[in-house]
Amino acid sequence: MNQPKYQLKADDILSTYEFLSEGPKGKIEKLIQFTPTNYYDVFNLAFGDKDSKTGQIDDMVISNNGDSELVLATVVSAIYAFTDKHPDSWIYATGSTKSRTRLYRMGITKYLKEVKSDFEIFGEINKTWEQFEKVVDYESFLIRRKKQ
Amino acid sequence: MTTISELNKKKVPVVRIDKSLNQYSNVVLFPEKVEKANEMLRTIGLPKEALKESRK
Repeated sequence: MNQPKYQLKADDILSTYEFLSEGPKGKIEKLIQFTPTNYYDVFNLAFGDKDSKTGQIDDMVISNNGDSELVLATVVSAIYAFTDKHPDSWIYATGSTKSRTRLYRMGITKYLKEVKSDFEIFGEINKTWEQFEKVVDYESFLIRRKKQ
Repeated sequence: MTTISELNKKKVPVVRIDKSLNQYSNVVLFPEKVEKANEMLRTIGLPKEALKESRK
């Protein structure tokens, strides 16, 4: 996506990413991780704040650092990086809370045209997957990079 | 030569490798989320239509 985003750092295998959120609350270290699930080539995507003092990771914290769009664009950018290395993988994502899942849906909706040109996107509702539609209140998402 | 502006427009970002992040490579940072993902996948699997279709 041609959106402003934070610079990403990653581990050697491009499974864990780190970036620095900057805003009114100061600088907050954030970690994104793609973790293998029990299913072949399906990875869970999650991200949260890293406490700089304890090193603990918290995906429930509400940072309120005034940069949620920038953060989402950076997470999408990490998805591009990860799927560049793992082009056949599925990525599962859901929010820590309903409101956060809704925020993700709004983020996908905002850039849907662009995102759909590069990814297959499914939403989960009532224990069923369907092609992502703008107005549906999905509980989780599943995406895969399209073959170019 | 690629300019910074051109790099910023690329969808796949320039990612700097940071060896200090290797400490997380074999650590599950969000175990509850992964458990939830496994449970959901066990229950409903992957989208059937996507599995039937060839990749676009």
